[in-house]
Formats: sequence, structure tokens, C-alpha cells
Amino acid sequence: MSSTPEVIVCDPKPMGLLQRLYVIEVLKGLGVTLRHFLGNVFRRTYTVTVEWPEVKREYSERLRGRHILVAREDGSPRCVACYMCEEACPADCIYIEAEERDSDSVEFEKRPKVFEIDLLRCVYCGFCVDACPKEAIIMSRVHEMTFTTRDESVAGLDVLLQKKPLRKEDMGYRPYYGKPHSHIELPIPVKPGGLLG
Amino acid sequence: MTSRDLSISPGGGSEERAAARRPDGSQVFLTTKLDALLDMARRNSLWPFPFGTACCAIEFMSVMMSHYDLSRFGAEVVRFSPRQSDLLIVAGTVTDKMAPVLVRIYEQMAEPKYVISMGACACTGGFYRAYHVVQGIDEFIPVDVYVPGCPPTPEALLKGVVHLQEMIGKGETHYQRQLAAARAAARGGADGNA
Amino acid sequence: MATRDEIVASIRKAFPEGVRLLDGGDLPTFVVDRAELLRLARHLKDDPGLDFKLLADVCGADYAGREERFEAVYHLYSVTHGHRIRLKVPVREDDPVLPSVYGVWRAADWFEREAFDMFGLRFDGHPNLKRILCHPAFVGHPLRKDYEPGQRWLLREGEQDEPVWARQPHEDDDHFETQVINLGPSHPATHGTLRTVVRLDGEIITQAEVEIGYLHRCFEKMAERHTWKQVIPYTDRLNYCSPMINGVGYCLAVEKLAGIEAPPRAQLIRLILSELSRIMDHIVCIGANLNDLGAMTPFLYMYKAREEIYSILEACAGGRLTISYVRVGGLANDVPGDFVEAVRWILRRVPPLMNDMEKLITRNRIFRDRTEGVGVIAGAEALDWGWTGPCLRASGIPYDVRKAQPYLGYETFDFKVPIATTGDTFARYIVRVEEVRQSLHIIEQALERLQPGPIICDEHHVALPPKEQVYTEMEALIWHFKLIMEGARIPAGEVYGFTEGANGELGYYIVSDGGGKPYRIKVRPPCFAIFQAYPHMLVGHMVSDSVAILGSFNVIAGELDR
Repeated sequence: MSSTPEVIVCDPKPMGLLQRLYVIEVLKGLGVTLRHFLGNVFRRTYTVTVEWPEVKREYSERLRGRHILVAREDGSPRCVACYMCEEACPADCIYIEAEERDSDSVEFEKRPKVFEIDLLRCVYCGFCVDACPKEAIIMSRVHEMTFTTRDESVAGLDVLLQKKPLRKEDMGYRPYYGKPHSHIELPIPVKPGGLLG
Repeated sequence: MTSRDLSISPGGGSEERAAARRPDGSQVFLTTKLDALLDMARRNSLWPFPFGTACCAIEFMSVMMSHYDLSRFGAEVVRFSPRQSDLLIVAGTVTDKMAPVLVRIYEQMAEPKYVISMGACACTGGFYRAYHVVQGIDEFIPVDVYVPGCPPTPEALLKGVVHLQEMIGKGETHYQRQLAAARAAARGGADGNA
Repeated sequence: MATRDEIVASIRKAFPEGVRLLDGGDLPTFVVDRAELLRLARHLKDDPGLDFKLLADVCGADYAGREERFEAVYHLYSVTHGHRIRLKVPVREDDPVLPSVYGVWRAADWFEREAFDMFGLRFDGHPNLKRILCHPAFVGHPLRKDYEPGQRWLLREGEQDEPVWARQPHEDDDHFETQVINLGPSHPATHGTLRTVVRLDGEIITQAEVEIGYLHRCFEKMAERHTWKQVIPYTDRLNYCSPMINGVGYCLAVEKLAGIEAPPRAQLIRLILSELSRIMDHIVCIGANLNDLGAMTPFLYMYKAREEIYSILEACAGGRLTISYVRVGGLANDVPGDFVEAVRWILRRVPPLMNDMEKLITRNRIFRDRTEGVGVIAGAEALDWGWTGPCLRASGIPYDVRKAQPYLGYETFDFKVPIATTGDTFARYIVRVEEVRQSLHIIEQALERLQPGPIICDEHHVALPPKEQVYTEMEALIWHFKLIMEGARIPAGEVYGFTEGANGELGYYIVSDGGGKPYRIKVRPPCFAIFQAYPHMLVGHMVSDSVAILGSFNVIAGELDR
């Protein structure tokens, strides 16, 4: 493109006398901060602080938190140890050891003997969820985790396997089948308060 | 790779220690209560040093800003001088080039000192299994609290700080355990001599 | 704009020998004999019909097994004509020497050092050819194909690099006011991971050198070890102030190579979120710059908007910062149902915050005195250093990739390119402020056009098929399996993808050998080029000015060091 694009020249004007005097502009600036201050004291007009931990911010249904291994009705993992998530993981933080499922079951297939995710290695990209062909691994909205040792962070079947029926508010990132789930809560809810309530 | 030795002194000269101890070797009431009081003061006024190198530093900024506001937990005095701070928050990837700087800063911090490792990179190297990335800062310095996430949500870091405060209250941090071990050793040594 | 044939004819006429044109490709590509390189470079820069004033990128590439194993690749752009070319200079492994083009374009300074560091290419005539990203105790050249990605070298205290002049006594050393001081890498004003060593005479900087690489996370090596899709989370962590733009840039480049296009709805959503990310990035840049200069309040006010934009990104993608939302061929998920309302809410939210900030700052004499006339750079000089983006536009050159070579349909939107002519720190601030307004205007138009539709193309050799098909149809399952286990097969070839990042032209030079993993990915980070001029601009300024100048560049270490 040889023609120059439409431009706005936003060179500043030279400082006028009022600006050179400095005090007036600074007072105007102080007016802005005073407006915010008084607004917050009386009505919390500008307050945005989420008062964690008393008030927990609702993240969307797509939040990528700690993983959940979805269970079958009999409580065993739905996972068939196909290693697809292990392969898809950019951090190589998933470790699976497979074993044969009981031979007398109807579906003669594999299941994970060991399924470990290093939660400290994990980058929570959700690619394991995308990769799973059985919808056996999904992500929860559990994102507040802390550990005191490195060993503690390796979560096995005992931590990851779903134990009670999944409620909607537990589940995070998972397949959506094209439906636009999730909603955006704006402004971020804040506890009302201030001197005038 | 070995983690570095920590130079934690048992605190005070031997005479002072002797004066603070009962004949049976246990600590006198006053000093244990004083420790508890000090720990309470320390845990409610942590001064973080943000060792922010990468993406986690941006989330650390979020934690400091109005929506989350770390000052509600008494830790708003961010100091960029290691001499003035007691909580090292390592936020972001530490590379081999940066590691000596991190160790130096840790050593410059006055005791007592605590370390929070924020995010996958600082904790384990994350998905950078690569030629220039430290695979977890615990290769070099001891860590009290690991906060997973890439980067962790602000709530996770807040929880990390609260967790650390609880640990300080219970005397479980790395520094406190070292101190207790050193005291026990000194006591055992004194008893042995007597 | 000269056509491809005219460029080729003009170069052929001037260089009948030593320069060979390669067939096809996204850009006219010439293989240049290294003996001819300097003459050709000068011709390309000075010939008014070609006028390649911007050296966008220099990088190395390793083709193990070829007789001439290494290649130095140059990407050039002409701001006046709007055309690009690529030069390739092959060299042998036993003699990896080629002339430095630093004398022609100063932009080559750090790019050549990086190619030396990564591949061991030696640039004859470079003034300061030493490692730039890896630490001094490092052995070997990590991006060579035979270097194991996990092989680490430890750097010990005391082995850090010092500029040569910092160790040598200076003629003025008996003068008590001359001293060498070190800023960073852990210093509040260096934003984490940059190090500047300066020699001072009183408070005036007389010499400066910058060291980077403290956040060298080996992006390019990691990209070669992962499938095309797995690279996406890595791109998020390049410029972590505006992750969406990086992902879009990467996917556009790969799509160009694969010859596919994302559906219109996906394009539009990419555009909207890119512009939101640009706003976020400028907010951090302006806020951090002001914070360094002692004005904390505007940062606090404006960060509110950033946090609220995070809400939108998180509801769309699932992550606040590192979103991994873009996919080759489209997007990971459709946006939530109330996306339009939420973005409109942001559109109403940002202007009052910006006004508050402007009231506090723009007419404030303290700020103006500290920034006007500080860090001045003329347009031609900035271009010579390889500058792009808001910093270049603040020096009066209206080069914006969105206007010059539009992508994602930017040509159909009404927006203007803000420029300033003074080229100082204040101009860089004011240009960013205006850009935020323009971005808001673009988003407003884009929201009007948002129509329902698919968000990922159905080319299943590249993009994952929808989950419901995977569970029910055999063919979809097979594609799914192949894509996860082997990665998408992108046709062999090379491409230079360019987008307007928040800091300037964000380029991806991608080479594919037809396999499931990229053969080579080189990122052209905009702030790398900008930052290399920094030590030269510091001379004559005071130490406190260095903080103001650095903040106005918006150097993001993740992108600078990769």
C-alpha cells in the first residue's frame, strides 16, 4: 500500500499558562481522586474489591481448574486408559498405567491402574479434555489449591476420581457440543456497603 | 543438584540461651510466649518481595490491585529490596541465567524469611522442560508454599498467603523448623555437657 | 506498490549472478551468495524503487543433512511501497561465517547476536558478537537439531556477563563522579528481568549496555518438540500482557501455510478479542510507566478495566491470562450467549476510566516535564533500528500492519492510525492513549457485524472434529485419534506471518517439513527490535530518565527473550 493510511496526529499542545502554573491542574487531579474517595466512603460507587474469602467470585463454567476423572455408575473410572490425554499434554504431566478390566464384564477393555497428574507441572490448558474420546476427564472449578511439598501435588485416582454426583457448579471446562454455555458476570459482583449503604 | 545450606543461627549467644532456659532444659514461659507473639505479628504483616519474572507477575499485579487487594491480609507493603522484606514471592519462570540472582536475593533477605512459589514454572518448570529453565526453584532455595496454576488465579495466591500465615502460626515454615531443630540441638548439646 | 514480478526483475537486473530466486512461496525468496550479501543489502535499502528500509527479522535455521547445513534468513519490508521479501544465505557447517549487515541496518544488531547464540553463525564485522539469550557458561548452540532440549548448564554466582568497558579502567576514573552502576535484573523499574549497566558522569549516562535473556524459556526449541496444536499454549506466554494476539498471529501463519481459513464468525471474534487484548496491553504499559514515574493512582483506576476484560476472556476460554483460545482453523469454543452485552459493557466502562487518567496525567506538568524531550528518536532512525508499532508511530511513521497489510478483515473497519511527530516518551504515551480509543471504535463496529455461524473450519486434517461426531462417527474418531497422536500434517513449506501485536509487528517465520511438528518457528518479537536501541538512546540522559524511557517501550520479557 503506497497511499498513507488515515492518521490522527495527536501531538500535545504546548503547555499553557494554567499548566505552567501547575497548581490548578494538580487541584483538578486531586478533584478526581477526591471524587473516587468520597464516592467510596458513602456509597461504594467505585469499590470493586471482591472480599475473598467471605465472598467468592463466580468464575464461568469454562474455568480450567483441577481435573475430574468421571466415574461410571458403579464408581469405577470411565477412563479406558487410551493414553490420548497423556499424548496431548504439552507439559507431560499425566502418567497412566493400564490394566485389563475384569474379564467377566461385558466390555472387555482396559482401565487405569495408576492415573496421576502432577498438578504443579500442569499448565491447565485443557488439551486433555479436548483429547479424551470418552469424556472421562473434565475440569472442575477448583482453582484454589496450595501445597507444601512437591510430592503432595501428584494427584492420583483417589483425588481425581469423581466421588459424588457432579453438580453444574462443580464442573469447569468440558466439551460443550457447540452450545454456547457459560455466562459473563459484569460488573464483577461486590458487596454493597459504605456509610449510606 | 543439592539445595543450598541455610545459614540459620540458633539465635542469640549461649549465655542468653542459658538464661532463658529452666534447669530441666525446657524454654521458659516468657520466651515461648514471646515467640508466639512475634509470629503473630510477623504473619499479619508480611512484606512481600515480588520476584516477578513472567506471566505470573501480571497475575501478582492483579492480586495487588483493587479487585483482590492483598493489603486486606496485611501484606501490601511490597518492597523491592530484599533487606526490607520477609516474604519472597517467586512469580514466574526462573531460568539458569536468573538462578544466581534469585539465590543472592534469598540470601540477602533478613531472617525470618518465607518463600511462596507461585505458578507452575517456579514450582516445577511447568511445560518448559528445556535447556535454560530451572526445573523448580527448590533446586536452589527452600519453598514453604507451592501455588499451582499457570498462572494461578488471584484467589489461589491469596489462599497461598493465608496458608503461609497459618503455617507461621503453627511454626511449620522451613525457617521455623530449622530454628527449632537448631534450638533442640543446642539444648541437647548443653544437656550432654552438663 | 510494486508487484512481485517488478521486484524480482529489478533485483535480477542489478544482480545477474550470485542471487537466485526460489519458486513459489508466500514472499519472493532469494538465495544469496554470502559474497554478494552486503552489496545486495545496500542496494535493497538504497534503491528508491525497492526501498527496504525495515529489516524485520534475521534468524538462523538448521537443515541437518544438507551440504550447506545452516541458513541465515532475512525478512525485509518497505514501509513506503508495502512489499516484503525474504533472503536466505546458506553456509556450511565447517565455515559458518557470513558478513554482518549491521552497517546497513542497525536492526541487525541483536538479531544477528541471537542467530550466533542459537546456531553458531558468525557474522563478520558485527561490533559485539556474543551470546545474548543464553548465559555465558552455556556450551553449544541450543537450536541446532542435534542439541538435546533438556541439556542444561549451570551458571554460578560471579560468572555473569559484564560489558568489557565496565571492567576496564576509564580515563576519567580519577574523576570522583564517574562510576559504573548496575540496574537490574531484579529492580522495580526493569519490570523483572532486564539488566542495564551504565557508566555515569555525575548523573548523566555516558555509556550503557543491556543484557537480556533472563527469561529465555526456549520457546523455539519447545515448539519443535510439540505438535502444531501444542504450540498454542506456548504462544500465550510470549507477550503475556496480550496473549490473544500471539495466538491469533500464530494460527494465522499456520493457516496461511496450510491453505485454510477460519470461518467469518471466528475471524470476527478473534478480532474483537485481539482489540480487547490490545487495550489490556496498553493499560498495563501506560499504568506501569506512570507507576515507575511515581503516579500510582492511574494504574489502580485502569487496572479495574483490565480485570473486567479478564472476565470476558475467562468466560470465553476458561483461563484468565493464558487463554489457549485460538485454534488452527478457528476457535476452541463459541463465545457465551451474553458476550455482546458484556463487551458493550466494557466499551462503556473504559472511556470514563481513561478520562479520569487523562485528567490526572495528560495536563500534569510534572509528568510532561519528565517525559517531553526525553528519549527522542527520529522516524528514520527508529525504522533503521527495526522499530514498529506505537513506538514507531510516535516518531511520525504511520506504519500499522492492520492498515498496510490487513488481515482478519481490518480493511473493512473504519479506524485511524494515531501518530505523533515528536518521538519522545510523552508521544509514546499519547499515541497509546489514542490507540485505546481507536480499538474501542473497532470493537464497536465488529459487534454490529457478529452473526451466528461455525467457529472452526471443517478441514478435519487440521482442526479437531466436534465432540459429538467423535463419539458417534467412526471417521471423526479416526481423525481425532490421528490429530492427537501425530499432530496435524501441515504441508511442507515456509511462511512469514505478520500481525500487529500490541507492541508492533509480531512475525512468525514458520518452516514445516510436512510432519506433525513444526520444523522451525522463529518469532519476530516487536520489543526485541525496539529494546536494542535503548542503550544507545540512554547516552546523555539521566538515570531517572532511563526509567521513563524503558517504561514507554513496554518491553515484555516473555516476548523479548522467548
